[in-house]
Amino acid sequence: MKLLVVEDEALLRHHLYTRLGEQGHVVDAVANAEEALYRAAEYHHDLAVVDLGLPGISGLDLIRQLRSQGKGFPILILTARGNWQDKVEGLASGADDYVVKPFQFEELEARLNALLRRASGFTQATIEAGPLQLDLNRKQAQMDGGSMALTAYEYRILEYLMRHHQQVVAKERLIEQLYPDDEERDPNVIEVLVGRLRRKLESSTGFKPIETVRGQGYMFTERCR
Amino acid sequence: MKQVGRYLPLTSSLRIRLMLGAAVLAVLFMAALVPVLRGAFVIALEGVIEKRLAADAAALVAAARTDSGRLVMPAKLPGEAFDKLDGNLLGYIYDRKGKLLWQSRSSLDEHVTYTPRYDGNREFLRVKGAEQSFFVYDVEINLLGGRSAALSIVTMQPTREYEVMYRRFMEQLYLWLGVALLVLLALLWFGLTWGFRSLRSLSVELDEVENGSREGLSDEHPRELLRLTRSLNRLLEGERKQRERYRHSLDDLAHSLKTPLSVLQGVSEAIAEHPAQREQALVLQSQVGRMSQQVDYQLQRASLRKSGLIRHCVELGPLLDTLCDALDKVYRDKQVRVSRDFQAGLCVPMEQAALLELLGNLLENAYRLCLGQVHVVARQGDGMCELRIEDDGPGVPAAQRERILRRGERLDAQHPGQGIGTAVVKDIIESYDGELSLEDSALGGACFRVRLLE
Repeated sequence: MKLLVVEDEALLRHHLYTRLGEQGHVVDAVANAEEALYRAAEYHHDLAVVDLGLPGISGLDLIRQLRSQGKGFPILILTARGNWQDKVEGLASGADDYVVKPFQFEELEARLNALLRRASGFTQATIEAGPLQLDLNRKQAQMDGGSMALTAYEYRILEYLMRHHQQVVAKERLIEQLYPDDEERDPNVIEVLVGRLRRKLESSTGFKPIETVRGQGYMFTERCR
Repeated sequence: MKQVGRYLPLTSSLRIRLMLGAAVLAVLFMAALVPVLRGAFVIALEGVIEKRLAADAAALVAAARTDSGRLVMPAKLPGEAFDKLDGNLLGYIYDRKGKLLWQSRSSLDEHVTYTPRYDGNREFLRVKGAEQSFFVYDVEINLLGGRSAALSIVTMQPTREYEVMYRRFMEQLYLWLGVALLVLLALLWFGLTWGFRSLRSLSVELDEVENGSREGLSDEHPRELLRLTRSLNRLLEGERKQRERYRHSLDDLAHSLKTPLSVLQGVSEAIAEHPAQREQALVLQSQVGRMSQQVDYQLQRASLRKSGLIRHCVELGPLLDTLCDALDKVYRDKQVRVSRDFQAGLCVPMEQAALLELLGNLLENAYRLCLGQVHVVARQGDGMCELRIEDDGPGVPAAQRERILRRGERLDAQHPGQGIGTAVVKDIIESYDGELSLEDSALGGACFRVRLLE
């Protein structure tokens, strides 16, 4: 998933960037609201983590601006003061959940995953489509109960397609899931990865859920639950 | 705080005190006035009587003649008063040695013992007779009808008439002074009411300031009070600014303390990945946890102090809406039903931020622990406001209730980063002199009961 992290404290930002990256997310980590607004306008994020105590434009204003620009991705706020005034204001301005500093990374991750699941309409930590099972917490795929060996990139593409099942997903979206910056973007990589993913899905059961939509991108045709 | 207003003695009212003071002053003034007025009246009246008696004496002198050294009085005197037997005017003429030479017809039935002294002085005095008192006017003459003579002419008049007049005068005096006192007090009462109306309006404005419907006192007060109202306004403004500054610096402090703690937490997690350093990492984490809890707790305590002057009152309904909206978002998957049981427009006697914190913590506990239903009850009356937050969760075993309600104890230690729960709730309630208790709910879970003094 592509995440936007807005935190002014460099060390904490770096910590979040690394840990979330380790969890298989592509992270845009920025230090202030201006940059966050720019990134949000440029890319498609699946979730934002926003610190309320930002310098300049405050976290609350950032959330309001993101929402007024029509950004519907879930927003998780980080608040230094655990008081309800801040929480209520944050949630009312458009955030979806909060974590009070200092937090254990596991807690942040759990809340973040819950928000992502909720955003794509799944209530369970696993997504099923036909014989295919995706464990969102452990980032593993299973086919007919047997585990499937997927690389990290393959898994990310599969998860993103399944989360947006029965929708056309542009190649650019998939690239954003893999690389944080523009310069590394190469559409051919996506074609190669999708090709490999298809072969792995087909090899055991003949399951063919990924279709190419010419000129637009890909679609996971099976219904996911 | 002591209950003020009901059992105070009467003299605690400024108006009563002023009235009493003024009444005493007026009575003293009148008491001093009475002898003066009476003296003036007596002097005037006696002057008149003296003049009359002098004129009567002059009439006697004019009527008297001497015949070869002997006094001859006409049988009939010019005025009738001396001749009437029951007349009020008595006349006597004595010689130098005090021997009675003549007495008027009117004096025949009176028994007055008065012997003039022939010393050349005119005298006016009061003499007690057998039955009544008399005013006596005594004048000496040396010449009568051009011949030398030495006579004392004495005229008398009973004091009865004078006493009646004097009594009537005194009655009138007391009556009018009494009326004047009443009128004075009535005027004073109205004057004080008028004067105190400004104090009343000040007290009304203070009430409005206390209940938060007014920011400060207006400038529409008498000049003498403006000094006070302006000082109070400065105080109010100062307190407001102070609180605001306080809140901002607490926010800054929280941010600048908690963010480094987050970094430390992250570092400790990174360290914990090396098995050899796991133990140190856990120590670090628990210390970070403790520090953060203390920071949270002390900051909350500091910011949620009860304000000194302003008596806050917050409508429960809208505040509950805000909190439930927020919590519904966080616990979206749970679909919690919140039922309410309180009158529309019910106000809780607390500051907005404090009530938000109190209810936020209690409601979040309920949301987290319930199966699907939360019940909020509020009752007002008998100078108390009672809030109950109930849920249908597992509830709290009776043995643990005491521990949970103890200061600084976390309600749910398994949820780090979830605030400091009942410790803050308890602190807030204590600062408002309220009570927190934990019971079983009819829904099957816990019931937190908050009692506040109005």
